[in-house]
Amino acid sequence: MKRSSSEKRRHVVAWLNKAEWDQVLDHLYSQDAALQRFALQRVSAWRGRYAHSTPVAVDCTAELVRCQVLDRSGQLSGDDLVLLYGAALVRFVNLITEKQQGRRARPLRRLAGKLNIPEWVVDLRHDFTHRKLPTLMWCRKGCKVVLEWLQQEYWSRQLGGGPDEDWESQSDGEDDDADVKQQEGELMERQREMEAYKAARDFLVSYEKERYQSLDGSQEDKWLSPFADMSWLLGDIKQFSLDSAELLVDVLLEDGFLVPTAEQLQTLGCDPSEDCGPSGPRVPPVFLRFWLPLLKALNSPSFIHLFLGKLLAELKLAAGGQRERRAFYISAWASEAVLCNSNRHEFRFESKTQRKARVRERIFLNRIQLRWRQLLTACLDAPCVYTPHLLRLILEDMEPPLPQETQQKLLRLCCIYTQSPGPQPGPSEEQKHQPVYTVESLQRSRPRRSSERPEASADLRGADVLAQKATALRGSPWQVCPDKVPWEDYPLGKVPGQSDDPSCLMAETYSTMTVSEEPVELEGGRRQSAAGVSGPARTAEGLLWGQSDFTRLKSGLKLF
Amino acid sequence: MKNKNTQVKGKSQKWKDVRSKRCISSIKSSDLNSSPVAVKIIKEVSVKKKTVKRLKKKPKAVAENKKNSPASGYKKSAFQANGCSTFALDDEKEDFQDWREGSDSVHANGVETSDDTEVQGGRLEGEALHHCAQRGNQENRAVLVMQKNETLCFRGKCTVTCLYGRVEVMGFTIDEGQKPYPLFSPASHCPLTIRALGNSEYVRDNRTEASNILQEYLSQASRKKLVKKVTSSSSIILLDPLETTLTHFLSSFTHLSELFSPPVSELMSAVPDTPLNSLGMIPLASAVEGMKTSRSCSDALGAVVNACRGDLDGCGVILVCGTKNVGKSTFIRILINTLLNHTSSVDYLEGDLGQTEFTPAGCLSLSTVKEPLLGPPFTHQLTPDHMIYYGQPSCETDLDRYLESLKSLWRRRPQCRETPVVINTMGWVKGFGFQLLVDLIRFLPLTHVVQLSHGGGTQFPSLTPEFLRTARGYQTHPPAQTALNELAEIHGPPRTYTHLSVQSEFQGVARQGTATHQRSNEHRELSLLGYLSQLQSPDPGPVRPLHTLTPYQVPNTAVALGVIHCEVAPSHMLYAANASLVGLCCLPEKVTSKGGPVVLSQTALCPCVGFGVLRGIDMARGLYFLLTPVDPSILRKVNCLLLGAISLPSCILTTQPGFEDEMPYVTADYSFDLTGAGKIRVFKGLMRPSQMGVQ
Repeated sequence: MKRSSSEKRRHVVAWLNKAEWDQVLDHLYSQDAALQRFALQRVSAWRGRYAHSTPVAVDCTAELVRCQVLDRSGQLSGDDLVLLYGAALVRFVNLITEKQQGRRARPLRRLAGKLNIPEWVVDLRHDFTHRKLPTLMWCRKGCKVVLEWLQQEYWSRQLGGGPDEDWESQSDGEDDDADVKQQEGELMERQREMEAYKAARDFLVSYEKERYQSLDGSQEDKWLSPFADMSWLLGDIKQFSLDSAELLVDVLLEDGFLVPTAEQLQTLGCDPSEDCGPSGPRVPPVFLRFWLPLLKALNSPSFIHLFLGKLLAELKLAAGGQRERRAFYISAWASEAVLCNSNRHEFRFESKTQRKARVRERIFLNRIQLRWRQLLTACLDAPCVYTPHLLRLILEDMEPPLPQETQQKLLRLCCIYTQSPGPQPGPSEEQKHQPVYTVESLQRSRPRRSSERPEASADLRGADVLAQKATALRGSPWQVCPDKVPWEDYPLGKVPGQSDDPSCLMAETYSTMTVSEEPVELEGGRRQSAAGVSGPARTAEGLLWGQSDFTRLKSGLKLF
Repeated sequence: MKNKNTQVKGKSQKWKDVRSKRCISSIKSSDLNSSPVAVKIIKEVSVKKKTVKRLKKKPKAVAENKKNSPASGYKKSAFQANGCSTFALDDEKEDFQDWREGSDSVHANGVETSDDTEVQGGRLEGEALHHCAQRGNQENRAVLVMQKNETLCFRGKCTVTCLYGRVEVMGFTIDEGQKPYPLFSPASHCPLTIRALGNSEYVRDNRTEASNILQEYLSQASRKKLVKKVTSSSSIILLDPLETTLTHFLSSFTHLSELFSPPVSELMSAVPDTPLNSLGMIPLASAVEGMKTSRSCSDALGAVVNACRGDLDGCGVILVCGTKNVGKSTFIRILINTLLNHTSSVDYLEGDLGQTEFTPAGCLSLSTVKEPLLGPPFTHQLTPDHMIYYGQPSCETDLDRYLESLKSLWRRRPQCRETPVVINTMGWVKGFGFQLLVDLIRFLPLTHVVQLSHGGGTQFPSLTPEFLRTARGYQTHPPAQTALNELAEIHGPPRTYTHLSVQSEFQGVARQGTATHQRSNEHRELSLLGYLSQLQSPDPGPVRPLHTLTPYQVPNTAVALGVIHCEVAPSHMLYAANASLVGLCCLPEKVTSKGGPVVLSQTALCPCVGFGVLRGIDMARGLYFLLTPVDPSILRKVNCLLLGAISLPSCILTTQPGFEDEMPYVTADYSFDLTGAGKIRVFKGLMRPSQMGVQ
């Protein structure tokens, strides 16, 4: 649904980088016991990172490789090995098919068949659990085949290795069927959208045609009482907008409709120069009247919400893309819509005819409750020369109004940002006192205000805090990192000077420490438990073995 | 105020001690991280209010004591319990009254139990909110007038100050004149409900007084509108927007941007465009039930609170148990809050590794709770008095270590302490889990066992004292000689306890939430993010991602490194530890190295003082770089870093601005479509022992 195809989803994995993954894969399948052992140890670290979510395939591979390594070491008897192989193979068959299992248990044979696991491997598993233990020969053969299967199905296709990956899949790795269905659904959806889009375009083109025809044949007055054909068309469009309002507005805002081309303007006899008068961008009256019948037909609160929202979104794009004409017309339409909604006082004193004329040229009459917060955000999101004008309109009309001071500040900020002349309706005494700030004025004011400027003081305080921390740690092995490191350049898990070599974190030498298994009291606590502890556990007391003896003993022990 | 203490009898002495602390005077700027301006205003206001109150109190209190009518006495004591340090607990009648009050206040939360004769106030919703709420004249604040028993259920967050009367949230009573309290009602948990309790004073010129109070907050027009609504039983609350380093930090993650909005299921009930919406509260219509407390639940609460206030001299030891998702945590929060109406602090022993209340998951801890819990766990992470990092979100892997850890925590609690203790337990009540409960009941000198169950039956045998006589525990056996003797030495003759059975009746009981933010792993992630938000500086400014912060450094020869939850080859251990979450622990042994990093050979049961992120490892210089909010004066004692199964939330690693690709441990190329690419899937509800040991 919302997964955009452009942005791949990031996942956290246990390997530092691709090089580490490649190294482990290479070693696991190297057939060299020493390298395999190394890879197994690395996988043990991966398990530590993954906690309870190690990929099943990684776990299974490691268990099977462990069997091979122990087999080759020649230290175990055949019977020992059969048990080891047995556990690894049973786990493989069950865990790997688990994802296929539904609510009700299904035969493993069928599930394995779907995954291209040879049937005899499943039989071997059943032998282990239900029948006579298989021979070592079969165990080795099973292990070999399964490892090959894992390499082919998982390792070599993972991390960009495979040809048929769908990268934007969900993270939990559940329900593939749902995914396929969703893709089909998306395809259908796209097709439907294309059709609707075409229909919308057709409607608007015929609307324009009708309007041009009426323009040729008649004088202005008839404009607002549409022909019979026109009312049919408007009815159709209205109907269409019930289902696909959003699409319709999208098309409306394309060039050639609400944003006229130069030819269109010429045909209508408008001045094609985007002249922004003192009252901000306005739609040329002729052009406004051209579209008025349609807009009136479509008028509804939800349409206006949508229309305004889309206008501002488009304005953002147009402003970013340096498309002057588009930005002009879009902001002109936006201000038209906001103006229609405003309940300005000056309207109260107008004459009847004035009122009539005004009403005729409005898209809608009754004030509706706009989504002011959204509008404001969207407007601020689309900075261009026309933004201050729109912003002012919105602020004036907003309900509930923002505090006066906030309004002023916002306007001023907006003007500064868009480099347009300050807010024109300037009843701002205050503004004279507080002119637009420039770098110079900041510099000028620096000496006396330095203590108040939040950023600088925050930095200073930051340094202070670090210094305090450093003092508190003095005398302990801990310290605040004293080097000037630009930490923002180093993501978590990376430090200055760290190479990309996957062996960079190997601890070639290390010391082992053994501690008491009894609960330990912090200092000041009662030491009752310590009394009962037997000697060897408390090396600090220096009883039978010293720390060095211990280290020697420990290092003689091989864990893997 | 101190002069009143002479009236107070000995036994209630400890109940009242630091009550006044909760009064307004002690507002820290960290409590209220809105803009400095707002803080200032509130401070001024509250200081003013306090003086007013004090003046008013002195003459009145005497008069009331003379009157000695039960009603006034009851109201008086309840009022004072929250507001100031005097606390008269003279006769049994009052005890009983208060008991009733406690139970009532819990009751009215649930609409079901309306057999009390009092008028049931409805939910404030829709149009009503427009009439009784007004925007303040500055900032984004609002003032709300509530009639007695009216409720306001909401999503979002805010700071609430009671200007007039009393309101109750999650069992905690907020009185006029008390300091502002932060309320968090995110989509991850049941929405909070504010309920008006009505005014405690009985002779008051309410309109004038209310008008005076409101003068500071409202313009004249809106003040006039609101004052009309005020009656003698109304309460008036001031709601301010709430921004803390926590909310600030959480908002820097895109997947949490809707955390304080209503979940999809409540969208239809969300009331838009009220004066409250602009300050970050979304009121919910009565279609959303809110917190629901059953009759048995409030009875149990009443019984426990009353016992703590009465016979037990304030030293109740209450163990709460029940299956998963039966409402243990919520019950405990309400219990603690209700206790905090009467005492300055409550001790809390954490025995639930998966859903910890004050710490990241995987920890067993002993905490002192002084502030009410008016939000889910991630909003009130605090530093426990004692903590042990168990390193797993459940205890199956090592039952002995679980019990030993809890016992050792209990032993560290000063025995002379006279505060109630609340003990939380795991939701694992079958098999060994049940045996562990039996052990715990035998090991700890409990006064109450509250057993929560649902659906009419009990999910496991009632843990009554009779049952315990024959029950078999994991470490203890029916005669329980060893354990009892051991305890008898320390605690004197074995005590018996009261068994209270509670039926939970809320919707979706015993089921884990499935909506966004409601799964338990998401709760754990939130708790950790809540913990890590303490790394942010309290100064305003943009959120600073973890990797940009200046870390601590320590030689790898001076601190030992251990892995709790699995076996990792020592030479590869740094691969597991780099960029991971580590518990910061204190071993009694001195850590020395013969060269290279020091590696623990087995798990140690040692005190843990907090957590850190092992930000990086400098192999050439042999240094660990660590980010931690733990205070340096405590950090200096840390000599052991423990790695457990509690991982860093993935968003911490994936959301590091400034890097396109090439972040360690992060890839966009991992495909979950391949067979075996996911983790081991365990069928829910079918936990078999064979699957438990799997890692």
